Amino acid sequence: MAFDRPKELLKPIKPRWIVLSFVLAIAVELLPLDATLANWLPDFTAMLALYWTLNQPRRFGIGWSFGIGLIADVASASVFGQHALAYSVISYLLLSRQRQVVMYNLGQQTLVVLGGLLISQFVMAVCRMLLGGPWAGSGYFIGPLIGALLWPLLTKVLLLPQRRGSLPG
Amino acid sequence: MDIASSPRFFRRGPKPLTRLLACGALSLGLLVADAKLHLLDPARGALTALLYPMQWLVTAPPEGLRQLDTFLTTQATLTHENQALRTYQLELEARLQRQAALQRENAELRQTLNLRSQHGGNTLPAEIVYTSRDPFTFTLIIDKGSMDGVQAGLPVIDARGLIGQITRVQPLTAEVTLLIERNHPVPVMIQRNGLRAVMYGMGGQAEIRHIAAHADVQVGDMLVTSGIDGVYPAGLPVAKVAMVDRNGGSPFARIVCTPLAGVGENRTLLVLNETLNLPPRPEAAPAPKTKSRRKRGSDE
Repeated sequence: MAFDRPKELLKPIKPRWIVLSFVLAIAVELLPLDATLANWLPDFTAMLALYWTLNQPRRFGIGWSFGIGLIADVASASVFGQHALAYSVISYLLLSRQRQVVMYNLGQQTLVVLGGLLISQFVMAVCRMLLGGPWAGSGYFIGPLIGALLWPLLTKVLLLPQRRGSLPG
Repeated sequence: MDIASSPRFFRRGPKPLTRLLACGALSLGLLVADAKLHLLDPARGALTALLYPMQWLVTAPPEGLRQLDTFLTTQATLTHENQALRTYQLELEARLQRQAALQRENAELRQTLNLRSQHGGNTLPAEIVYTSRDPFTFTLIIDKGSMDGVQAGLPVIDARGLIGQITRVQPLTAEVTLLIERNHPVPVMIQRNGLRAVMYGMGGQAEIRHIAAHADVQVGDMLVTSGIDGVYPAGLPVAKVAMVDRNGGSPFARIVCTPLAGVGENRTLLVLNETLNLPPRPEAAPAPKTKSRRKRGSDE
């Protein structure tokens, strides 16, 4: 959309880039890591769901977040519907403020993303506690902090295919 | 204004809140169906099979590096290791011979006593593909699935002792729930005196509940499976008693145990594909007519 980045004209995104980004995020989810290291790894799938909701709201919305969440559920061997619920919720919250947030600069967006990722983790923790699981511990909330710090970088990388003359396709 | 004739750009489908409510209701339904009713295991199996090539791609490079490392191990290390292994093998062989004799003797004794032999079947070596990233559960994914004959409920051990139990099976992989998973029960027996108990996982460690405060349990006692549950064969080492807390105010002792098996260390495991030849369970006695509160607490 032309309003997304007022400072430069971008090529329209091809759906295959969206798909490829999610394939990579799920691959990260499948990496054989131990639990402490996995806590430090941000939830890239959630970050991508936020990114595409923010920048391509006509292509990517709550329904897609839900579907991606189901795949993330299987990839992380957690209960069905846990990631799906969390991603739908953050996707909805962001969508309701999308026109505002998309005008923010990257620093301000980072704060919004931090909030979104924390809400996602919180929803998942509450789901598991309602089903009788234990509290995940405060280490569970390190991932969102690192994820938010990586947001500017992620935005720059994901904009590459849309820049003129930078990549073929 | 006619909706059908408006340009495609203006048509946006249902409102976001409607979509959220639909997706939210669906996810909550899935959560309950999966966690409480266990209806979705086939769907999970299909999705896991779809993800399998990706999983292989992700795990292949570290595996390749490890093989390269094995290839480049120096000869000195190898000779040294070889020597150590040879001594160890001698020792093991001596032990094995002794055990073979004992096993024969045991079989004869059992025959004379007309007892059913409880062990049969075989073991299946498996490798850990990855540990689950889900921080709420203690599970491992192994590289053997229903196509290799793995079934849900089979016990899994490593070189040191019992590690857990297969809880979900997919065609190419299977999920092992570890001993230390919260409220995962294992019937155990104290090797020293034969006292039977049930050990429950606590998430990281395990504890024995409901054992009288004056019971003969000491720190350092070895716990082995008791084999009376029909799931685990008897005599597998499980855990060591790490702490016994006899609080005067409680009728039960608080006993904390550390599992023996390297829960987070090994890569290769053994799935015990043994069929336990147990006699059929006797018919349950008819419930007494009076209102009893027994049913409560037995739903675990």
